Amino acid sequence: MIYLSQLLNQPVWDAFGHKVGKVKDILVNGTEKNMPPLAALSLKNHIESVDFVDMSQVATLWPSITLKVDQTKLNPFAPKGHELYLNERVMDQQIVDIEGKRLVRVNDLQIGRKGDAFLLTGVDASANGLFRRLGLESFNRAIARIVKKEDKTQVIPWETVASIEHDDPLRLSVSQARLVQMPPADIAAILDDLDHHTSKALLQGFSDEQLADTLEEASTEVQLSVLSHMHPERAADILEEMDPDEAADLLGDMDDKSSEQLLNLMEDDDEEDVRQLLAYPEESAGGIMTTEFARIPDNYTVEAALNYLRSNEDALKDEFMFYVYILDEKERLKGVVSLRDLVTAPLGSPVSKWFDDDPAVVDPLVSQEETAYLVAKYDLMAIPVVDPDTNKMLGIVTVDDALDTVLPTAWKKKLPRFAAR
Amino acid sequence: MRRKLKTPLWLARFVTFFAIIGPGLITASADNDAPGIATYSMAGSRYGYGFLWVIVAITIGEVVIQEMAARMGAVTGKGTADLIRERFGVKTTTFAMFCLLLANLGTTIAEFAGIAAAGELFGISRFITVPLAGLLITLLVLKGGYNKVEKVMLFLCLSALAYVATVFILKPDWGEIAKGALVPHLELSKGYILTILAVIGTTITPWGIFYLQASVADKGVDMDKYGHTKIDVGFGAGWGNIISAFIIITTAAALFTKGIVVSNATEAALALEPLAGSASRILFAVGLLGASLLAISVLPLATTYAMCEAFGFERGLNRPVKEAPAFYTTFSVITILSIFSILFVPSESLFQFMLYSQSLNGILLPILLVLVLILANSRTIMGRWTNKAFQNVLAIAMTVMIFGITVVLFAEPFLK
Repeated sequence: MIYLSQLLNQPVWDAFGHKVGKVKDILVNGTEKNMPPLAALSLKNHIESVDFVDMSQVATLWPSITLKVDQTKLNPFAPKGHELYLNERVMDQQIVDIEGKRLVRVNDLQIGRKGDAFLLTGVDASANGLFRRLGLESFNRAIARIVKKEDKTQVIPWETVASIEHDDPLRLSVSQARLVQMPPADIAAILDDLDHHTSKALLQGFSDEQLADTLEEASTEVQLSVLSHMHPERAADILEEMDPDEAADLLGDMDDKSSEQLLNLMEDDDEEDVRQLLAYPEESAGGIMTTEFARIPDNYTVEAALNYLRSNEDALKDEFMFYVYILDEKERLKGVVSLRDLVTAPLGSPVSKWFDDDPAVVDPLVSQEETAYLVAKYDLMAIPVVDPDTNKMLGIVTVDDALDTVLPTAWKKKLPRFAAR
Repeated sequence: MRRKLKTPLWLARFVTFFAIIGPGLITASADNDAPGIATYSMAGSRYGYGFLWVIVAITIGEVVIQEMAARMGAVTGKGTADLIRERFGVKTTTFAMFCLLLANLGTTIAEFAGIAAAGELFGISRFITVPLAGLLITLLVLKGGYNKVEKVMLFLCLSALAYVATVFILKPDWGEIAKGALVPHLELSKGYILTILAVIGTTITPWGIFYLQASVADKGVDMDKYGHTKIDVGFGAGWGNIISAFIIITTAAALFTKGIVVSNATEAALALEPLAGSASRILFAVGLLGASLLAISVLPLATTYAMCEAFGFERGLNRPVKEAPAFYTTFSVITILSIFSILFVPSESLFQFMLYSQSLNGILLPILLVLVLILANSRTIMGRWTNKAFQNVLAIAMTVMIFGITVVLFAEPFLK
């Protein structure tokens, strides 16, 4: 294995030992492949008219760069425009390590040989790469020997990195395809570390649903920056895809004019859900509840209830469906049954036989801490939020949302580096 | 924050103004830190009002250079260290970061020395004030998140009003002041040139450039909102240098006329006491304390972030120590080493080290300006927002001047 830094500025010799020039850069083809082949060497201080050397005419890269032919027999090579210039465009840039789920800086690039072809195999993001670039590799090895640490150059395989240049549509789409394999929370963490132009470009190619999932996990800065630069119609579509409580949080952080515009563009039922949530303070049960929960009408049998849940839109939107809520025709809460009990109950029996008709409920204006306390006290996965005046059930607070205040949110949502809003 | 309260328009405008100002004001205010106050007090007591025009000239230079950094942050969304690494490679970056680290370590030590001096003006031992300040700022930075830190810092900027108060106690001759500020007057003595360089060095700092660009980038400012940032930079530089001018006016009015020359903030405060009353000692101490605290909250953090950006280490604050070891190590080493040096290293050796670190700052500044100029003129990086001709003329003139003076100063001992 050899590294790009060991090839740059090295002389290139032809088959008869004449110097043709020095390596200025290396061009790579087909960067979407797992191991893209090197296409050509770009030369400097070169003899006349040999700016590039086609890789098929290169015999060896190590220990010295030699060509298979005499300098007069070189095929002309002209870049077609889609080649990636490794030194200019990849070295020292930031790149996403998909497996490691982090943003790294390219300290060096690893090149391998397979049969007659030279391939780009991986990215060296380790400190060893830095030392190699500084010409201090032996110094680094000496230190490693003294502190008895194994020399572990970590090379990230090219197939598990996503380059993040936002000015090349083809490579950007490859990166997007690789990025969406990561869990949304990890994508969001990387977006927070990226500059806003790049993160915007990356998100352009996401589907509404992928974008909604990612934004739910992202910091408020990223959410606002992404949505404010998007066409309002699309922004509204994404808000519809988001959990209503997350969408309400986001809209609450916008200025009145923009949030009103987006609300009006949203579908009526989604708009209504969000508006309802916006009416409650952020740190209250109403502010953190979600309006999407599984509900069934009164007087159903277990079989009817299960069939109803399979086709009911609200039920399908329920993220976890720990419990099924039984509501009367005025949407008042009659009882709660856990999905487990419902599934294990005989199909023909009435649901009323299994449900708890006096469940713990919470008032929408109760504080988040109090809600968390109730959830913990009654060992619940979700607690229903009920309007004290009308007894109407408004939504549920799931255990993860309730515990957000108790656990440090810093681990979930990134604190900005130098940002203040 | 969800609930929207209707606020009166004037209040809304006021709040908007304070939401806009931030990085620029903080950067400029931190220039009036312990070394800054020492420099200005010395300049005022030695050269009187005749030195004020230098401040006016430097304000222009500062605005031009800070604006470049802010614009790069807005256009690219990246930090200065990011851009240097991406454009100039590992070697240049390593050199710049090495200088930055040592220079900023020296400056951080000087800030803690400022805290110690301010405490001692109130009669409190440095063994109490320095560890306390270190602990307080570290907790604030690591636990509070940057939003809170910035609010505290903007509040600390107000401590500079102490100097304004001092000037009004002294009742100087404003006509003389205006003349000193507007009529350039050059003395060709080594001391005068050195003082000009010292004033440049304390006003236009490498860490200021790094900090300003990173905070503009992190606020997600882009070119449609850049107008606000420009106001912040201009207002900040104006405010910071008016405060500098007030320090010079104070020492010029009270000490220059009596032929008393001072070389640091404590001397200035003590010399002022018999002339302007005990209030002036307290006011000087307040100003010194505020600016030093301000600089301590920015310097170690800005340095650490620049290092992490440049070498691609995981950045901390949002991550546990285990995931970002380089970040927390660098931050702790800078802070703890500074506190330790102030408390236990003999002042002569400390003074030597700070002198060396100031020289490093002197070497780094012109180099950094050249790098920034190349970046700000690069079409691939800046698109259509590259420098305009007049910005280049001013910035290049500034760079050449600083470079020239620095080279002369370094070469001088060998010419003898």
